[in-house]
Amino acid sequence: MLEWLIEEIFAKYNYWISITIMLIGFYAMIAKSNLIKKLIGLSIFQTAIFLFFISLADIGPIPRGTAPIVSEAMIHKGYVYVNPLPHVLILTAIVVSVATLAVALALVIRMYEEYGTIEEEEIIEKERELGV
Amino acid sequence: MNTGKSETEEGKKRSGDVIVETISRVMVPFIQLFALYVIMHGSSGPGGGFQGGVIFGASFVLLVIAFGIVNAGNRFPEAVNTALFSTGVYIYAGVGLLCIICSLGAAQYLNYGFLSLPVHFEERRALGMDFIEIGVGITVMAVIAEIFFNLAWKKEEKKEGGKE
Amino acid sequence: MIPSIDLVLLSLVVVLAIAAITVRDLLSAIMLLSAYSFLMAMVWVEMHSVDVAFTEAAVGAGASTAFLIAALSRTVRWEKK
Repeated sequence: MLEWLIEEIFAKYNYWISITIMLIGFYAMIAKSNLIKKLIGLSIFQTAIFLFFISLADIGPIPRGTAPIVSEAMIHKGYVYVNPLPHVLILTAIVVSVATLAVALALVIRMYEEYGTIEEEEIIEKERELGV
Repeated sequence: MNTGKSETEEGKKRSGDVIVETISRVMVPFIQLFALYVIMHGSSGPGGGFQGGVIFGASFVLLVIAFGIVNAGNRFPEAVNTALFSTGVYIYAGVGLLCIICSLGAAQYLNYGFLSLPVHFEERRALGMDFIEIGVGITVMAVIAEIFFNLAWKKEEKKEGGKE
Repeated sequence: MIPSIDLVLLSLVVVLAIAAITVRDLLSAIMLLSAYSFLMAMVWVEMHSVDVAFTEAAVGAGASTAFLIAALSRTVRWEKK
């Protein structure tokens, strides 16, 4: 039982921490009323997903993986390298994340010009007063 | 900040810090050199056009933050940035099409080995990859700088420089 | 990966994430997010994905922070309770 616990639960701490960070970001997106705080939560959520993917690519402590730059000598000495496919996926995801952030910030600035506040509850209040 | 009280125009026009201005003036060439290094080593190591372009754009952002939109921001007009980021796209598409044209339609788009350069097949591949990275780098540099300028200042403020 | 270094870095990352969403000053929150991105880049170097770490250090800690601060200079700095 204890061995099973160590092998299946504690040895995979990367995934647990990834889920923890994901929930922190999700909490910020839902519960915080400030729009920029929501975007910070979005950023944290995205990073948690990146952490999940990079953990998938990684090889555990024994045998230790190396960076995926392969040469002939490395293979002869019996080195193993980490899986480069998730790295490439995450590279694209990082580019998308900065573009998303820029668009969202432009929208936040526009909302501030329109309503004079970036608190979500006040914006909803003002919209209700306007009868939208 | 919008919430701060408005000061006089003369006080705001030239309120730069000597230390910040000097340090950024010294740092910017090194940042740009590092960005060029990152772009050119994208084919054989970590780095590439996108990362180098972001670093290059960040050097412009540093310059404009240190010197203010009045003194530095108008050196990067929107028309020039637009021209730059379409130039990058054209470099990318042009090199890709050149591969098809040079091989008379035998090779695929972006198959660098068939570029008609006077070097070996493998070297042509490395060179073609570098051309692509330069195009990507130019586009990303202009886009990052332009996004920052448009987020930080309104159009009118950019012209007359109402805010540091 | 080396589990001890990994655990220390990841627990620091969790602490910084909680701090970034808790502080009331938005400028501090953005700075904490920048530090969080740098620590995440260190985690990825330690997991041997150097390319992703490079991109995260340039984009997450450089460009995103600049964009957030630029947006903050057009809006308000303090989060209301």
